[in-house]
Amino acid sequence: MCPRGEALAEAMDNQYTIAAIWMGLAFVAAMLAGWTGISVSVLEILVGVAAGNFLHLGTNTWIVFLAGFGSVLLTFLAGAEIDPSVLRRRWRETFSIGAIAFFLPFLGVMAFAYFVAGWKFHQAEIAGIALSTTSVAVVYAVMVETGFNDTDLGKVILAACFINDLGTVLALGLLFANFNWYLLAFVAATAAVLPVAPRLTRWVIANTKGRISEPEVKFVFLMMLFLGGLATAGGSEAILPAYLLGMVLAGVFMKERVLVQRMRTTAFSILTPFYFIRAGTLVSLPAMIAGLALILAFLGMKVVTKFIGVAPLTVAFGIPRREGMYTTLLMCTGLTFGSISALFGLTHGVIDQRQYTILVTTVVLSAFVPTLIAQQFFKPDLAAHIAEDATRREAIPEATD
Amino acid sequence: MFTRILVCLDGSDGAKRALAAAVRMATEQGAELLGVSVEEGLPHYAAMVGEVEEAKLQANEYFARVQQEAYDQAKLAGVELRTVTLVGHAAQRIVELASAERSDLLVLGHSGHTGIWGQFLGTTADKIVRHAPCSVLVVR
Repeated sequence: MCPRGEALAEAMDNQYTIAAIWMGLAFVAAMLAGWTGISVSVLEILVGVAAGNFLHLGTNTWIVFLAGFGSVLLTFLAGAEIDPSVLRRRWRETFSIGAIAFFLPFLGVMAFAYFVAGWKFHQAEIAGIALSTTSVAVVYAVMVETGFNDTDLGKVILAACFINDLGTVLALGLLFANFNWYLLAFVAATAAVLPVAPRLTRWVIANTKGRISEPEVKFVFLMMLFLGGLATAGGSEAILPAYLLGMVLAGVFMKERVLVQRMRTTAFSILTPFYFIRAGTLVSLPAMIAGLALILAFLGMKVVTKFIGVAPLTVAFGIPRREGMYTTLLMCTGLTFGSISALFGLTHGVIDQRQYTILVTTVVLSAFVPTLIAQQFFKPDLAAHIAEDATRREAIPEATD
Repeated sequence: MFTRILVCLDGSDGAKRALAAAVRMATEQGAELLGVSVEEGLPHYAAMVGEVEEAKLQANEYFARVQQEAYDQAKLAGVELRTVTLVGHAAQRIVELASAERSDLLVLGHSGHTGIWGQFLGTTADKIVRHAPCSVLVVR
């Protein structure tokens, strides 16, 4: 590089310019999302893939921190989106479908990665975890579009997705943990904080409501980061306490919509763009092309294992065939936790960039392919379900939400 | 001649002209008037339920405003406007609703809010004209 070019590169190599480039990419993704109707998260990953492969966009420590905080906040909000009443009311279906939808793909994909693809054991574990997930958000978007989000079937499917993701988060948080004193401290702190977190949060909200300094948001961040710090010290993963904290605060968040909105604004405007763009920059296009066959094989394994596990359960619970296929296909989707698991594997040196590329590409494909098939070929009759729900509510009034 | 008119409401200038035409026809012919809005900008393949919820809330607020304005305009002309909001692919949902409601005339603006896909795949109006189960009036 000529001296003038070097001087320019040096002048531009400051944190504000770097931040401006990342925000520029986030802005491009947001505009594309508005035009195409595809979610901003997927587009941030794609923009990140382009920036990483063609502009050779690098990262630094604070970008890594912002991205990490983004994934933790994303996980917390995902946990807080659960509807506890459905879990209580339809626990048999939700727990069994959710648990089997986690375990079979986890074990099946792990076995495939280990025995067929020749990955090492821990690498195979990461593959199993990354492809065991079900995307609650992808499923929810389909439900809203088809109108099923308000039906009993829709609520059971969504609650089962939460249980599925809980399995993923627990596996990621526990399988790679170091069993030392820090982990013990983390377990003890989590056991102490989670039961009182809802009461404490309600107290903070009641006593500080309306303050411009947003103490309630800071208090939630405090709990999240404190437990995340202990988890990381124990060799576990900060998303584990974040998801659990989100789940116990779900009841509070259902009533405090303004608080949810503020946390979402923080997440979407500054944190999650760093996470998703970073996840994209680490994808290697040459590795993607070279690994196309393996990507399709992994996708096939995920779908097949979900079918083996979930489809018979839908029959056992008396869900009609078409609705059963629809449920099973939606349980095959994945996005957020799949990419978080793959990134965990890469950043902890468990998997290499080629394997990360294969897993993230499979995860992104799993957001599209099963959804399109479900909507195109197995969309149930909405009017019949609304009528059926109404009949059931008349017969069992206490079953109403 | 027409007894059940369905008019598409998306708040665009084209849709406003379509509403004016539909109200006029409903008044002249004593027809029932139903207005439909379709939320089709909800994000696909989202990372968070909140992403979809926020988009849906914004869309709900926008279409509630659009439909209230349409209702007021129809009321001024002495026509009772029923409204419905659907989610999904606009052309598909409107055609389905026209069938379900047994509408005999569908009224829509020539240019609505069709985004980038419209440039490649044709506008919502093109698709409705092709697939509607009844007569279609495209207002320019």
